[in-house]
Amino acid sequence: MKLYKKEENVLQILSFPGETVEKGDYLLVDDSEAGKALIVQVIDVQFASIPGVLEELLRSLPDGGEFIQGEDIDPLEISPHITFIQDASLLFCKIRATVENENLSPSNSWLPSRSQSTIKRLPLPTLLKLADVKGKLPIVLGYTKDSSLLTIDASSLDGRLNIITGKKETGKSHLSKLLMVNLVGYGATVVIFDLNGEYHSLGMTNDGKRNAIYDKIHVLTPSQNFKLALNQLNLHVLLGILIHALHLPGTSAREFRRIWQSLKDRDSLTLHELGETIRNWNCNQQVRDALFSRYHSLVNSGFVTDNIAEATMLEDCLLKAKEQGGAIIINLRNTGSIDRQIVVEYVLGKLVESLTSWKLKAVFLFAEEAHLYLRETYWDDIVTRMRHFGIFTTFITNQPDTIRDNIYRQADNIFLFNFTNEHDLDVVSRAARVDAETVRSIARDLPPHYCLALGKAVRDFPIVTKVKAMDIKTMGETRLFFTNTTTG
Amino acid sequence: MDTVLPQQFTELCLHSLKHRIQLNQHNIQQVDSPQEFAQTPRLNPKPILLKPLHVENIVAAVDTSTIKIGDTNAGILIAVRGASVWKQNGNYRYTRIGPFIFHVTEENKSEVYSTLENAYFGTQKGSSRQNAPNLLQTPTRIATLLERWLQKMLSKTVNNGLILFDGSLTSGSPDTPTRRMEEILAVARKRANIVLAFSKMTSLRVNGHLITDLLPDHQPPYLLEADVARPRPPVVLLGNIYVARLTREKFAFRVDIDKEIPPQMKIEAVEKLLGNDIFSQSYPETLRFAHILCTFTANEVLAMQHFVMRKFGLHVFNRPDMHRILFGPYGRGEAYS
Repeated sequence: MKLYKKEENVLQILSFPGETVEKGDYLLVDDSEAGKALIVQVIDVQFASIPGVLEELLRSLPDGGEFIQGEDIDPLEISPHITFIQDASLLFCKIRATVENENLSPSNSWLPSRSQSTIKRLPLPTLLKLADVKGKLPIVLGYTKDSSLLTIDASSLDGRLNIITGKKETGKSHLSKLLMVNLVGYGATVVIFDLNGEYHSLGMTNDGKRNAIYDKIHVLTPSQNFKLALNQLNLHVLLGILIHALHLPGTSAREFRRIWQSLKDRDSLTLHELGETIRNWNCNQQVRDALFSRYHSLVNSGFVTDNIAEATMLEDCLLKAKEQGGAIIINLRNTGSIDRQIVVEYVLGKLVESLTSWKLKAVFLFAEEAHLYLRETYWDDIVTRMRHFGIFTTFITNQPDTIRDNIYRQADNIFLFNFTNEHDLDVVSRAARVDAETVRSIARDLPPHYCLALGKAVRDFPIVTKVKAMDIKTMGETRLFFTNTTTG
Repeated sequence: MDTVLPQQFTELCLHSLKHRIQLNQHNIQQVDSPQEFAQTPRLNPKPILLKPLHVENIVAAVDTSTIKIGDTNAGILIAVRGASVWKQNGNYRYTRIGPFIFHVTEENKSEVYSTLENAYFGTQKGSSRQNAPNLLQTPTRIATLLERWLQKMLSKTVNNGLILFDGSLTSGSPDTPTRRMEEILAVARKRANIVLAFSKMTSLRVNGHLITDLLPDHQPPYLLEADVARPRPPVVLLGNIYVARLTREKFAFRVDIDKEIPPQMKIEAVEKLLGNDIFSQSYPETLRFAHILCTFTANEVLAMQHFVMRKFGLHVFNRPDMHRILFGPYGRGEAYS
């Protein structure tokens, strides 16, 4: 390999046949005289612009478009040299860091010697060692191209905002399960908004047996094993549901506050009493109607109950998870859109409440397709306020444009699966922790189950990995019409 | 003489390269083998009208090419390649020989040339030494040697075919001795082949106009017969000269057809050629392929430079362009000189 050109922070390196280099590979451009080396990553491989190649290709085609047959007598054996030149490729490489005395620095303000530098592949284990990617709480993400393990530190997800994105069926949920299982294993509290019922078998092996974390998995299905009694609710959590999920106007909300206080004073915080009180409350008819329609929404959701025995204490699950680590899976699979928002509003409100009162230390929140249930104002909350409370969110989506730009810009880690759509790539490339070219070039060519890890978890060295397989029962598979149908 | 490529050709290449030399990169200049010949011909303005004859005949063609791939302290580094193409049963086939790379110096040019000539045509070493070209002519002369050998091989191997040469059937020049050309044509005739030579460029003029520009307003394909006055010795014309306009495009070429062939057979030969080959811009496709296949591309020049660097440890240096140095932006560069 030969150093050819540098434009901004892209090095162009001439590579010859036999030097098998692919997108995503790391190279070390070592200038021994300068005592420094550049770590660069191949983001694109193109044919080198060799003069005369077009003529070479064209002359073998006669008018009919078929190859002209013949014999080449090449006594000096020059044709291998022609092939060698023709097949030369140009590697476009992003400068990632400088190594000096085995220390890494992000500097790329120097230029290695074009004539003296040696260029060789940098094995990923060496890079990971240099970058100190492995930590005290290892999570094996998967295998890199050279069959070494990519291990990140669980603490690199702690206090961070993460995004897992890629098109359908590329392995996003699989990776999120892997992260969850590992986090739970390290005693973390994980809350999952499970939109498609994919996570409730996290505690089961593929053959249906219980695995090591079985007892740490708490699946809560709204209106089934996840119901609330009104007297368990804090007023501001319920107001949050009424205002944000059910869009209760401000005047009505004020009236509701008075009704709530009245019920609380009478120690009658039940659904039935609430309905009766609204009916008999001395207020404007429109306010009453507004309160009634929200009341019926709550009743119809099946999420609120007057039967205390049926009610689930989310707080109990959270505390249990706090003690020994655990995952609380909020199964939203068969929950309607409004009810989903009610549940999410409640869970987030309860989390904030528990975290504010230090009942909980921190929570790792995994939110799948969050745009389907997260209200507008929560997006900013999640990256600012909630983060300070200790809610560390991982968004999982196959529609990257549903996540706001500011989330991408503030994301600490992005686990990117394959995207071919230009628009999707455009959106993801707005992430602050990586350059747009890397995202566009590498993500487009990722095979299924391969992900490009970006951000703090990999010390800002984008690394492609094949996500490790797990012995967890697969759920959430798409229902198919033609399953078990034989053709013929 | 055998039809097998003389081993000496390869050996000579390697021998010439083994002297440790320094290579200066030079602008690539393709050298073809144009036939320039000052004559005062008469051109019969009455066209000989042609009708394509669709009788199955093999069409074969030969061409060679040479290129300078670099300068050395002592001389030049050149490459030569030849190609034979034939069309049979509607399919084109080819044999391409080379490239051969030679390091030609003032010291070895006579030896290189005479050794090659001897290897190809069994010429006495002493006689070819007298004909040794100057350094700049050597690439063309070596290419011509290879071309003549290929022409002879084709004449020996093809039966009842139409053999197309690039250039003319003029002989008597140092690189084309009359005896050699006569021998090639005789071998061809012996196997019932007819040789037709197409010149891409001609210097033959009538009243100051090139003969290929004096085209009557007549529907092609046709031939115009040129009558060239007896050339001055040692130049000998071994073919009858025609101007051939074979397609609608306003292109015409000088075509020489073996003199020993009866007149009617000459016309028939062109008609058979029209019936057996594809023509574009009045030029036969077989000959075009031969030309295309032997021509060097820039990519190949790089590969050959890579070869000599790897095999013989030569280093390429850029020779300063004196035009640029002396005249700056007004210098045209040596490529034009």
